[in-house]
Amino acid sequence: MFLKHIDLTTALRPSYLPDEDLLFVQDNVGLYEGKFKLPNHQNGQVYLTSHRICYVDKAEPRKHSVALDLKDVDRFEFYGGFLKSSAKITLIPKPTKRPALQPRSPGDPSRSSTSSPTQQLDGPLRISSVDPPLATAATWVCTICSFSNPLPSNFDPTTANAHTPLPPCLACGIKPTLTHLLKAAISNATSRQPSSPALQTPLPLRPKTLPGASSTDRSALEPPPLQKPQHLSPDPDASFQCPRCTFLNHPSLLSCEMCGAPLISHDLPAELTSQARAQTESPGPFLNSLGAAPPGFENLESIKLSFRGGGEKIFYERLKGSMTQRKWLLHGAPPIPKSSRPGDPTSSNGLTAGHGSGTSRERPKIGGIAGLEHRGQAMRKNNELMIGGAFEDLEALMASAKEIVALAEDFARQVKGASGGSSASENALLADSVSQLGLITTKDIVGSGGGGGGSDSLYLSELARTLAEFLTDDRRGVLRKAGGIISLVDLWAMFNRARGGVELVSPADFEKAARLWEKLGLPVRLRTFKSGVMVVQGRDRTDETTIKALLAWLRDLHEFPPEREVPWDWRMFGRGVTARDAAERFGWSIGVAEEELEMAEERGVLCREEGIEGLKFWENFIDTGEGKGYKDPAKQRDDLILQALQKSGFL
Amino acid sequence: MSNPTPTPPPPTSSSSTTSFPFPREYSFPPFFTRQTNLTTHHAQLVKWAALVVAYCRHYRIFKLALSGTGTVATNTTTSITTTAGGDQQQQQRDTTELFHNRRINRRLSLADIREVIDFLRKDGRAEYVNGGGGDLVWIYWRTPEEWAALVEAWVEATGQRGSVMTLYELVEGDATLGEEFHGLDQDLLLKALNVLVKRGKAQIFGQEDSRGVKFF
Repeated sequence: MFLKHIDLTTALRPSYLPDEDLLFVQDNVGLYEGKFKLPNHQNGQVYLTSHRICYVDKAEPRKHSVALDLKDVDRFEFYGGFLKSSAKITLIPKPTKRPALQPRSPGDPSRSSTSSPTQQLDGPLRISSVDPPLATAATWVCTICSFSNPLPSNFDPTTANAHTPLPPCLACGIKPTLTHLLKAAISNATSRQPSSPALQTPLPLRPKTLPGASSTDRSALEPPPLQKPQHLSPDPDASFQCPRCTFLNHPSLLSCEMCGAPLISHDLPAELTSQARAQTESPGPFLNSLGAAPPGFENLESIKLSFRGGGEKIFYERLKGSMTQRKWLLHGAPPIPKSSRPGDPTSSNGLTAGHGSGTSRERPKIGGIAGLEHRGQAMRKNNELMIGGAFEDLEALMASAKEIVALAEDFARQVKGASGGSSASENALLADSVSQLGLITTKDIVGSGGGGGGSDSLYLSELARTLAEFLTDDRRGVLRKAGGIISLVDLWAMFNRARGGVELVSPADFEKAARLWEKLGLPVRLRTFKSGVMVVQGRDRTDETTIKALLAWLRDLHEFPPEREVPWDWRMFGRGVTARDAAERFGWSIGVAEEELEMAEERGVLCREEGIEGLKFWENFIDTGEGKGYKDPAKQRDDLILQALQKSGFL
Repeated sequence: MSNPTPTPPPPTSSSSTTSFPFPREYSFPPFFTRQTNLTTHHAQLVKWAALVVAYCRHYRIFKLALSGTGTVATNTTTSITTTAGGDQQQQQRDTTELFHNRRINRRLSLADIREVIDFLRKDGRAEYVNGGGGDLVWIYWRTPEEWAALVEAWVEATGQRGSVMTLYELVEGDATLGEEFHGLDQDLLLKALNVLVKRGKAQIFGQEDSRGVKFF
């Protein structure tokens, strides 16, 4: 199925995969399949993440929530809405099988690599749609042999650093310097005003190679551009135009006959891709004829998201971004070289996980102290490398700072032109960096298209959910550590601290979000004590359970003798407890303990004693029920008269 | 009117020499703190009221000094046993003990005591001796009406109707020895007799110190 049922967290949000980042949230979205509305999926929130699009139904979130993987999305279309029809984004799934490739792959060893994971790249490649001339690859000229190489598509000048894998020159195999590549990329981008779509959205760096990895390792991880499949169709008449010299080459050629330029590379020239798409997709019946499975199974039915509350533009923008970034490819990729190694206590875990780093392979050979020494040495070496690389970076950055700034401005202008106003790209960039910092809900992520109040409430509800997750997160155990109850102020401070000082939540928003828990049916609740103190606790924790716990504790005090001599009969009365005692005993904060004790007193379970030692609370031996039988004498008389009257039949 | 409180049964005057058995709450420290919870507070008042009444009944205290420093109501009459001195002093100590539990070192504050008294007053079981908020309070472990009824019953039973007797004779004389109202406070006796006067069952005459009463 294109649409999959998903698991929700306690806060009724999709539970994210590892490495998955939330990019955008929009509420009031309905789903269509093809042209028809999907029943039960007509009002919900849509979460755009780096890997998926999740729909969480508003009415029955557990039942009707679905998600679709972006990796299954072939392409997507935008429809701006007209009169009463709201804006829509259509997601067209990839056909599950690619019949066109099947006949070719067996028997041809060079092509067999096309079935390697990198083959998935071709899906998004076809996204790069409209402007063929833009897409001509940026090139860099080898300083050794002056061969002009294409820049790898995943090379992003804004994020590149020393660990970005750099492809060697295709002709002589000498690696270029990072500075060189940076300059090439920038000059490429600046010389061409409308820059290539691949550069429009910053690409994540693709950590691939480890310093120790051999070149064969790298080629396994990242096949040289030449091995890319360029023909997706068996059509023999098609010919490919060389992106550089425009010579029409035979389709089976991998490089241009005239100038030697690679015909297909990571950043496949869009002209070619559009051709390729035309070849694979224009014959609609072709797919149908070959498709053995019924069309439904083939998932050719597209899914439409109908944005009734607005927000479609940002969604589209971010979707475009994540489709270009293709973060799902990173899943399972080796970690960024060494970044987590130095001083990382879990490094042994990392090694057992077998990421194929050089050190892990060497490890079994050396043991004992020698091994430790070796590791220390490796770590030092790595640190050295990293520091060196960082300074190299700085140099490179300084060298091209001017161009970089120009580039950024350029991007901003372009995106502005596309989305029609607002500093959306900066927002996107910000949101990206913020989400990288581990933050989840920001005002920027949630939809703002609905205008004014609507988006604010969405922000609040998202914040409420984030808070609920934060509270119930077992790893943090915020609520558990605080004895199941925490004052709102403490939580606010803790939450903002956890955010690391970025995108802090204002107290007003925080309180409003906390008030939404009840409405959203989340597993935490806000409670206001009679003094006005607001606390947060689990939904299952009621006053009754608290009282039960308090009473059990006080009854225990009948059994255990007090620390020092007390004049009263402790076997009968136990002893009084202060808020401090209760706080210590239950792990509450003092304020909370006071409130809880007073709550119990209010219920008549405890009674108070004010003395020189402060306010103490005791089990209530004053109101032991005898008082209930007591009646006001006047009332008693009235009752008697009433009874007499009733007896004599006057009433 | 029946005794509204479920305290230990009222000891007879003969047992007044034994010490008062305080209820359980008396040694419960929070009992001496004004409770904020309304129901608990009410229960607290009920218990205190019962304690005060029971205590006064036990020691046959008619006028209670709230400040607790020792003026004991019975000092106008020569007290329960006709020997005045030592017995009176013992009672002085007793009344402070009522609101101050030395053993657990807890004391009911004067404001709280007044609240208890007010509670008793609403019930018709207490009255300030001089009207306002003085220090001396009548504790009616029997109300004047009840005392009047007792006296009337005794007059009836002993066939004293129509006879004249002094008030002193009535409460201290040998004839009433063993009666409940024997040793009754003079002022309280007057109040009780006034009840009878209102009903037309008695008539009071005479001067300050030598009053007489005639029963009809």
